[in-house]
Amino acid sequence: MALAPNHSTDMLIRKLDSIARLSDDERQAIERLPITVRPLVSGQDIVHEHDRSLQCCLLLDGWACRYQLLSEGKRQIFSFHIPGDIPDLQSLHLQVMDHSLCTLTPATVAFIPHAALRDLTAALPGIAATLWRDTLVDAAVFREWMTGMGRRSACEAIAHLFCELYVKLEAVGLAENHRYRLPVTQAELGDALGLSNVHVNRVLKELRDNKLITLHGGGLDILDWAKLSKLCGFDPTYLHLERQAA
Amino acid sequence: MSFHLQPVPIATGSDDTESRLVFADGFLVAVLVRLSEDHGAEAGQWFLEAGFGRVDDPREHKFADLDEAQAWIQRRLDGH
Repeated sequence: MALAPNHSTDMLIRKLDSIARLSDDERQAIERLPITVRPLVSGQDIVHEHDRSLQCCLLLDGWACRYQLLSEGKRQIFSFHIPGDIPDLQSLHLQVMDHSLCTLTPATVAFIPHAALRDLTAALPGIAATLWRDTLVDAAVFREWMTGMGRRSACEAIAHLFCELYVKLEAVGLAENHRYRLPVTQAELGDALGLSNVHVNRVLKELRDNKLITLHGGGLDILDWAKLSKLCGFDPTYLHLERQAA
Repeated sequence: MSFHLQPVPIATGSDDTESRLVFADGFLVAVLVRLSEDHGAEAGQWFLEAGFGRVDDPREHKFADLDEAQAWIQRRLDGH
C-alpha cells in the first residue's frame, strides 16, 4: 500500500536521490522513518558542542550553520546548511558533538532517531553508501573552504561562497536564474570566511560596483555568473552534484 | 616609548582612503584606517588594517578615535 505523501521524508528522498538513484524499496523504507517535525526560531541551537545526541536533524525549511565559539565571543562558522541537508549526520557515528549547530532563520527541522537510521542503513546498504557519500562531499566542501580561507583574497573567498551556495540551492530547486534568498548577515559571512566585517563590507561594495551582484531585501542576484565564477576560479567538481548549474 | 602617527592616503580598493602609519620608537607597528561613510554606524572609527609583531592580531579591532587606538597599541607592545 502506498503511504501518504510526507513532506519531511520527501525532502530526504529528494536529497538522497540527488546523490544516488534510490530504489523503490529504499524510498519506501525512508517513508516509514519515525520522524518528529519541529519549528524553530532564528538563532536557536539545535545541538551544542559536547552534546551526546540520540537523533539527527534534517533541515526541511530555513537555513542553519555549524559553528564553534572561541574566546572573547568570537565565532567560527564551518558551514551553511540549506533545506535537505542533515548537518549533524556525524552524530550517528561520533558520539560527542565537537561543534554546535544553530538556525540562521526561522526553520522547520525533522528529527530522525539514531536507532531508526541505524536500522535503515543496516537493512539497506545502498542508503548507507549514499549517506557515506554525502559525508565525503561534506569533507570536500570543507577542503574547499580551507583553500578559501588560506589562499583566496577576501573578494575571491566571498565570490566563491556565493557561487557555491547558488549551485547547492539550484540543485535542490531553491534557486534559479542566478538568484537566491541569502539570509546570512555580513557578520556571519565574516565568521564563515575569517574576514573582518570591514573587509566583508568593502568586498560587497566592490562586487556591487563592478556589477557582478546586487543584494536587496535578503536576496542575492548574480548579474554576471561567468565573470564572478572566473574571478574566484569556481569549479563545482567538489560538490559532486549529478545536476550542475549551467 | 615615543609614538608618531603619519597621515598617508591608502588604496584599500574602497572609499576608506584616510590612514595613519603608526611608528613606535621609529618602527612601523601598525596601519590604521578611518572608516568611510560606507560603513554606516561605524563610519569615523579607526580600523586596525594591519599590525606588525605584537600588534598583529587576527581579530577585528576598531577604535572610536586615534587616542584610543594608540593606547591599545601601547598595551600590546607592553605585552598586555
